[in-house]
Amino acid sequence: MPWLALFLILWLSACGPAPAEPETATSRRLSLAETLGAEEDAAYARALAPRPFVFPDDHGPHPAFKTEWWYFTGNLEDEAGRRFGYQLTFFRIALAPAPVERPSAWGATQIFMGHFALSDLDGRRFFAEERFSRAALSLAGAQAVPFRVWLEDWEASGPAGMFPLRLRAAGAEVALDLSLDAGKPLVLQGEAGLSRKSAAEGNASYYYSFTRLPTSGQVRIGAQSFTVRGVSWLDREWSTSALAPDQQGWDWFALQFDDGRELMFYQLRLKDGGRDAASKGILVEADGQSRLLRGEEVDLEVLEHWRSPRGGSYPSRWRLRIAEEDLELIVVPALADQELDVSIRYWEGAVIATGTRGGTPLRGRGYVELTGYAREEP
Amino acid sequence: MILTRAGLRFLRRHPLQLLFAVIGVALGVAVVIGIDLANGSAARAFRLSAQTLSGQASHQIIGGPQGLEEETYARLRVAGGLRDIAPVVEGYVALPAVPGQTLRIFGIDPLAEGPFRSYTPRLAGGADVTRLLVEPGSALLLEGLAQRLDLALGETFLVESGGRSLRLTLAGTLSAPDELTARALDHLIVVDIATAQETLGQLGRLSRIDLILPEGVAGETRRAAIRALLPPATQIIPASTRGEVMAQMTRAFQLNLNALSLLALVVGMFLIYNTLAFSVLQRRPLLGILRTLGVGRAQIFRLILGEALLIGMAGTLLGLLLGVGLGQGLLRLVTRTINDLYFVLNVSQLDLSPWSLAKGVALGLGATLGAALVPAWEATRAAPRLALTRSTLESQQRRLAPWIALAGLVLAALGGLGLILPGRSLVLSFLALFAVILGYALAVPGLLLLLLRLLQAPLGLAGGLLGRMAARDLGAALSRSGVATAALVVAVAATIGVGLMIGSFRLTVAQWLESYLRADIYISTPSAGFEAGRAPLDPQLAEELARAPGVAFATRARHLLLDDPGGSTELFVVDIPPRAQPGYRFKSGDPQRIWREFDREAVVIVSEPFAYHRNLRVDDLLELRTDQGPIAFRILGIHSDYGSDQGRVTLSRAVFARYWHAEGVDALGLYLEAGQDADRLAETLRALAGDRQQLVIYSNRALREASLATFDRTFAITAVLRLLAVLVAFVGILNALMAMQIERSRDLAVLRANGLTPRQLWRLVSAETGLIGLCAGLLALPLGIVQALALIHVINRRSFGWTMQTVLAPDILGQALLLALGAALLAGLYPAWRMARTSPALALREE
Repeated sequence: MPWLALFLILWLSACGPAPAEPETATSRRLSLAETLGAEEDAAYARALAPRPFVFPDDHGPHPAFKTEWWYFTGNLEDEAGRRFGYQLTFFRIALAPAPVERPSAWGATQIFMGHFALSDLDGRRFFAEERFSRAALSLAGAQAVPFRVWLEDWEASGPAGMFPLRLRAAGAEVALDLSLDAGKPLVLQGEAGLSRKSAAEGNASYYYSFTRLPTSGQVRIGAQSFTVRGVSWLDREWSTSALAPDQQGWDWFALQFDDGRELMFYQLRLKDGGRDAASKGILVEADGQSRLLRGEEVDLEVLEHWRSPRGGSYPSRWRLRIAEEDLELIVVPALADQELDVSIRYWEGAVIATGTRGGTPLRGRGYVELTGYAREEP
Repeated sequence: MILTRAGLRFLRRHPLQLLFAVIGVALGVAVVIGIDLANGSAARAFRLSAQTLSGQASHQIIGGPQGLEEETYARLRVAGGLRDIAPVVEGYVALPAVPGQTLRIFGIDPLAEGPFRSYTPRLAGGADVTRLLVEPGSALLLEGLAQRLDLALGETFLVESGGRSLRLTLAGTLSAPDELTARALDHLIVVDIATAQETLGQLGRLSRIDLILPEGVAGETRRAAIRALLPPATQIIPASTRGEVMAQMTRAFQLNLNALSLLALVVGMFLIYNTLAFSVLQRRPLLGILRTLGVGRAQIFRLILGEALLIGMAGTLLGLLLGVGLGQGLLRLVTRTINDLYFVLNVSQLDLSPWSLAKGVALGLGATLGAALVPAWEATRAAPRLALTRSTLESQQRRLAPWIALAGLVLAALGGLGLILPGRSLVLSFLALFAVILGYALAVPGLLLLLLRLLQAPLGLAGGLLGRMAARDLGAALSRSGVATAALVVAVAATIGVGLMIGSFRLTVAQWLESYLRADIYISTPSAGFEAGRAPLDPQLAEELARAPGVAFATRARHLLLDDPGGSTELFVVDIPPRAQPGYRFKSGDPQRIWREFDREAVVIVSEPFAYHRNLRVDDLLELRTDQGPIAFRILGIHSDYGSDQGRVTLSRAVFARYWHAEGVDALGLYLEAGQDADRLAETLRALAGDRQQLVIYSNRALREASLATFDRTFAITAVLRLLAVLVAFVGILNALMAMQIERSRDLAVLRANGLTPRQLWRLVSAETGLIGLCAGLLALPLGIVQALALIHVINRRSFGWTMQTVLAPDILGQALLLALGAALLAGLYPAWRMARTSPALALREE
């Protein structure tokens, strides 16, 4: 879900005054964004109306849409209580709406991008890596049955229907090998799975999530291995979105509480400082029942900021209130610097939530993504 | 002050001599610099291109003769989890729109380029790679190249590869980070790897995989881990290897050019020596007066050296300018030869390396000063009285001449010994050859004396008094005629040596072609260069051609290139039917045994240069990298072959199929039924191939002609150098003879005053210069022949490993004589004309 915002930001800045120099980092990222998204091409399929989801097929790719992702995040802990956060994301990006027939096996119209980040929360370290590959020659790809999405040796694989799912990834310094189970059935986001991103027609995605995935396995940092357990979250989303010109960025929260509930909320920030009416979320009960959260139901207040050494300033402490649920939370990053310094810089990291619901204390862990805050230092 | 003025006045009074001396230095320097610049530019262009193309890669994974299987790359990425690797598919295409233009297709994966190359498009670098990936045929060119080809964005252009024509689209331009890179990219078409495979017909194959290994132990560990994932046919080599191998291939060729250019400088040195020696000679009275006035020896020495330096500087400066111009022209020739013989090389511009220019300046000034030393020393010996007259000097020279000649002959003999001694060093053999030339040149005055004495009698018979006079005058004026003759001898001998060598070589090659080419018609795919081997023939078309009516049977062949850290090996995989077997002439090995075992065992035959370069003998084992890993092949025979100076390894198709999985054939040899006309059938076959694949179809005769045409082209640069040596010699002889005749104007005036008619004077002068020319021509013959022998049997053998027959073509010897005679006669024209015109009284009044 959260990635969409990145395209949006860049699309917006592209509409502004042209950069003075052709080779600034900003312009580089701009053209990257153009490749990755934000392209008006009527030949791509669009998310216009709710559709029936068919599983396990829909766990696989939807190549007629411009972009799609398998977005894993999770909070983990080893036996000694050492805490870790991880993010492993597979993005599928179509470069053309239809495949091109050609003799070379390298011919591809789809590429994959991967982001792998590991937060060593107690060691106060953060590792992130980005990869690209074309969907050709078995270098990268996605399939529904048996389930597999991979980018070189980064891989999520499982039977039809996904679970039990194995996640594997290795970077220069860190690696993980995790097994994920479905703790709850999936939930369809938005309007029966159609998630509108603005008032414009077709400016929407198909979106579902597995909000609670009990997880166990190994995490390696350098030569050190840790046996870990914890809970993961999977967002699945595909779309061909043209983005609203007045939107500035995106804050996405995915929180898993000790009482068995989960909360997802995203707000689309407008350039004028306001919040787009398309902002929304979901509240999932312990039994798997869920309820849509309209944007106006959620009150989000930024209490503190963190200045990135790479430029830009991010919110770093929030008060989140949902009056109707009698819910009040304080959300803080488990580690300040969880900014991914990749092609398009953004912050995505493990957070801790504490507060009350109906007067009872409530604790939770989760992930937050913040986009549209990175600035090039002058 | 007085000294300088005296010197300057002298030079001013003899402007022509001054001019010729300057031109002599200039030509010598120009040839050296021109060759050096051209050579250096070609080498640098090659190295630059190799470095630019391998970028930051520290190592490369190379495969068998057809490259690597692309799955190998996927396996390294997916199973091996390797990151710093990048696939490359490269090859050459011709541009039909610009005949003769060859461009390199460079296929990369923009998503894997990462740290490798700074100029290739990459997603993370912000390039719009969509079009490159998605639209087949999308290509990127350097802006300058696109402009030269007159291409706008989105326009298509036709390229040819392996006989097939394809359309590429200019999808964008490359931006080079700096000027050097831009130069290396000037002949590059950057495409996505899929387009490269499709354009070059290399589906499923990679040319190589670039990788970056850390240094030290970590690198070794990683390398071992990668090795474990690779199939046996592959190899990991340092990225610099290929560049080194290529440089090595052309080293001998370039050294030969350099040596030849030095010869021009040596001739130039003779000129300077001659000019200065003459000026000293003429000023002996003046120098003597100066000495009586108290001018020290050291001052006189400095005066002469100063004059030399002036001439040297002027000549060198002019030589630099000429050399740069000459270099431009030579660069084209050098590049073409490299393209014909070795690999595709595009050199867009002459590189004015300061090092080359400095070398030219040092050589020019050094040669001038070196040549001036003897005259300067001689000048200091002018006694402070006038007693030491010309006559005593000349007789002294004549007394000395036999001794100098003896010393020269000893030096030449030592050089000759050096040439005969076994060894492989090319530099040593050139040194020995130079010793022979120098020694012989020293002996020339002595030999000249001998020759003149021999000629005196017959000349007396033919020309009466004047004839005898001419011969005696020359002998008497040995101090100048000797050196002038030596210069002419060296230059003429060089033309003889090089001429005989080329002639022998050509005849050898022609005879070899005659015997080697047995089939009636040869068919192959056109190839832009050898680096990537040849594209295979369309299999179905190949079969149709082989079974065409009128064809008795066909042999099939494949040319492949095996890359190794030690150099690349050209594999020639072929059927050799009994009818073709006599075409192989074995230098060693038993033909009966060879043909018995050729199709059966793990055996090969190798060509003579190959055996020479690798120091191989019959029954030695040659390790080749097969698809099953390295296999040792027994060498059955070593045969003559002039097709490749690196040499080739020939093995039978049956044996090849056992160790390699490479389908396809790139050449056919057709043997016709009796009574078929090869040229007519070739037309029919061309029609049969039609548009399906562009083929090169030659009848036996046409192929021989085309091969010899290539041969001539590769020797074009040698011929140019030969011509330059002649030019320098010509200027030299002109200079020397004019000086001599002008100096003699008093004698001649006396003769005129005594009744010699202008007509007789003409005859006398012409007889003298003609005599010098004739003597020089005659004396040049033995030296020329020795040089030819050295070039054929020592230099060529050590450079390229070829042996060839010696053909002493009389026409080349005759031409040399004529050249010497003609140059000399021509040189006599001006002095004779001047003498004849000047009234004797005026000439006598000079003092």
